[in-house]
Amino acid sequence: MSHSPRIPLLALLALAALGAGPVRAADGQLALPDFASLDAKASQTVNVTLDASLIGMAARFLDPNKPEDAAVRKVINGLQGIYVRSYTFDSDFAYPQAEVDRLRRQLTAPGWQRLVQVHDARKHNDVDIYMCVEQTRVKGLAIIASEPREFTIVNLVGSVDLAQLHDLEGRFGIPKLQMQDQK
Amino acid sequence: MTDLEKELRAALRPVEPEDGFAERVRARIDRESRRAPRRTPPSLLWVPAALAASLLLGLVTVYERELAHERQGLEARRELIEALRVTGAKLDLAYRGVSDASHPPKAADTGA
Repeated sequence: MSHSPRIPLLALLALAALGAGPVRAADGQLALPDFASLDAKASQTVNVTLDASLIGMAARFLDPNKPEDAAVRKVINGLQGIYVRSYTFDSDFAYPQAEVDRLRRQLTAPGWQRLVQVHDARKHNDVDIYMCVEQTRVKGLAIIASEPREFTIVNLVGSVDLAQLHDLEGRFGIPKLQMQDQK
Repeated sequence: MTDLEKELRAALRPVEPEDGFAERVRARIDRESRRAPRRTPPSLLWVPAALAASLLLGLVTVYERELAHERQGLEARRELIEALRVTGAKLDLAYRGVSDASHPPKAADTGA
């Protein structure tokens, strides 16, 4: 009887310990490294961190009457976070491969599934596309692209619809994808 | 002439004021006019000005906040578009890679 109050506490601690590891993977968000060393080396950097509140704020500045803005609204509708780190260098392979490998290891966590792996030995391009899926629900998307002079990580957190991303092609400088050709 | 008219005329008949009535009235007016400025202390004259200044400051603060909010929103929009542009570019890179792998260059076929 005297031990009974401890049981809920122990159960909570056990649950917390079990949940601590896979939480970030299960919610579709990657723990992005600082990349301070890459910032210093890169000739061009894109660093975007948009949480749910900033996405909501950006959405208020999208005009629903413009088709481009309406398409963006559709894409971001189910998103809770957008994180992009992209570094362009003046010389080949200026980024540490260890950083890339560390990121890729995060994507071996349960929930993440690799959709596409492209390895072009001739052009030295590697692109991996992962999706975080939980019971048929998409919870995140991750793209890791390493090229000789560019290293990019994209992490979209939340419900991602690739078809809606496809609707954005040719707008805002987004290249025309060749998804139709694949079918 | 009716009784009512008689009563009214009697009640409203001209009556001479008492001696010194005019002096007393003048003295009272002088007294009141001297006392009037003292009723509003000079310090209270700043209250309307202070209230107006506070209101103006409040309006400016609200305007500044709205402006900052708009600036932040436009910056978030710019970052959002940039993020989607990078995402599109990398998806394109992947699809081109897949396409290249499934449709190898014709030169390789003819060379065999």
